[in-house]
Amino acid sequence: MGFGSRDEIVSVFDSFREELDANNDRRERIIKLSREITILSKRTIFLLHRIATSDNKQDTPDAATDKERNTQSESDDSLVTAERKLQEIRMKPLKQLALDIPSQSVYWQHEKSITPGIQEYIEAVSYMHFIKTGQLIQYEEMKKWLSDDSGVLLIPLPFDEFLLGISDLTGELMRFAITSIARGSGRAKAEDVCSFVRKCKADFERFTPYVRELSKKQQTTKQSMQKIEEANYAVKLRLAEFQSSPDLLDDIAKRSITLPQRRPMDENNNGDIETD
Amino acid sequence: MDPKELEIIMETLEEESILKEKIRDAASDMEKSIRVMMATLTGIHSTRRDQLDVLLNSTEQARESCKKPLATIAQIVPKHQYWRWKDLYARHIQNLVFIIVLSDYLRSGKLSSIQDISDCLGLNPEWHNEVHIQTEDYLQGIISVINELSRFAINSVTLGNFEEPFKIQRFASDVFAGFSMLSLKNDALRRRFDSLKYDLKRIEEVVYDLRVRNLGPAGQSQGQSQE
Repeated sequence: MGFGSRDEIVSVFDSFREELDANNDRRERIIKLSREITILSKRTIFLLHRIATSDNKQDTPDAATDKERNTQSESDDSLVTAERKLQEIRMKPLKQLALDIPSQSVYWQHEKSITPGIQEYIEAVSYMHFIKTGQLIQYEEMKKWLSDDSGVLLIPLPFDEFLLGISDLTGELMRFAITSIARGSGRAKAEDVCSFVRKCKADFERFTPYVRELSKKQQTTKQSMQKIEEANYAVKLRLAEFQSSPDLLDDIAKRSITLPQRRPMDENNNGDIETD
Repeated sequence: MDPKELEIIMETLEEESILKEKIRDAASDMEKSIRVMMATLTGIHSTRRDQLDVLLNSTEQARESCKKPLATIAQIVPKHQYWRWKDLYARHIQNLVFIIVLSDYLRSGKLSSIQDISDCLGLNPEWHNEVHIQTEDYLQGIISVINELSRFAINSVTLGNFEEPFKIQRFASDVFAGFSMLSLKNDALRRRFDSLKYDLKRIEEVVYDLRVRNLGPAGQSQGQSQE
């Protein structure tokens, strides 16, 4: 019982050395792959942004649906590309990552290194799903994106992880919506996005006490949502006072977002939005 | 989000939250006993060598009382999720390692293994994926022991025990040799490893002070020439 001689002590520390080295090596491999997954996922998200904005050339309700029908095929092609890219992530770096996560134990051991890549990937997948279906991806569906072709789960997906990745999506969607409005187009689409995100945010609120970073992400989403609400407010006012053409409405919305401060409406304001 | 999915997720998160609380409760149960043992062990610096065993044995009960909370944790942690929850009680494990390694050294002059400590705490090897003594926690505990022993070396001399520092010096340098073999990254363990060097230096200074005055253990200078 116990180690009495230097030889014995040195020998046990030798085994520690092996163990710690193996852990470190594994961690570094995981970090590298996680980073790769992050980069590839981010690229896909940019692609999805472009796909989403390409529908927004015109924005009146009727024109939008006609345009959407016409541009459907174009978007589909790009959506196909996006899906392909995501499949590539799944078949290559994700699968490789899974090789270094042979068990649940190891997953939890290296969870902090695994998480950044996976969350970014979840964001990309759920974004694509949203563009395709207008819905939030379900947990079981998400798991398929973390499984191999025969349905075997490659990487565990705790609920926290899932929620954080989705919450990243809503944050991203809001930023996209603001950008569209600030560019002077995409108001109707932004409205859709806004109501979708509002619903998500409401759903997630109950989880915030349980998932650590969730409330921070909710905050970010809320700020973005407020900006859009103010833009919609400015537009509604203008509509109520005057019948404006759709382009002007977009312009109003755009200014309300790019104005450095929101000015309260005063009595003397005859409806003209004052420039700086 | 689909309401059914919401419900399932909510249920699971609530369960996990309750689990966290239970683990925290078990950890705090251990905490009291650990404090008692740590307090008792500070007495080694003012206890004569021949009365040390009595002091060490007095921690037996407190140590026994740590078995149950650990067993509880092992039972409630879901299978294979050791790493997910270990941080909630890692400090306690490190303290227990410290207590047991220190006591065992003072009794036998040997370095207890992870297995020894696990046995002492009633940790079933089958529980490994739920609770076990992780290498890094073990190493942290050992460094604390050496730190304590460097102080003990000094106080032993004060109490008239001139043999102890030599034993400690041999023990500490063996442990240091072991640590030197590890390729430590820039983390907590690395920083504490640096503190090990200082402890070793202090101990060597005590040994030197004794040798220089011919106060070392008779005939046990191990072939090294005296100054």
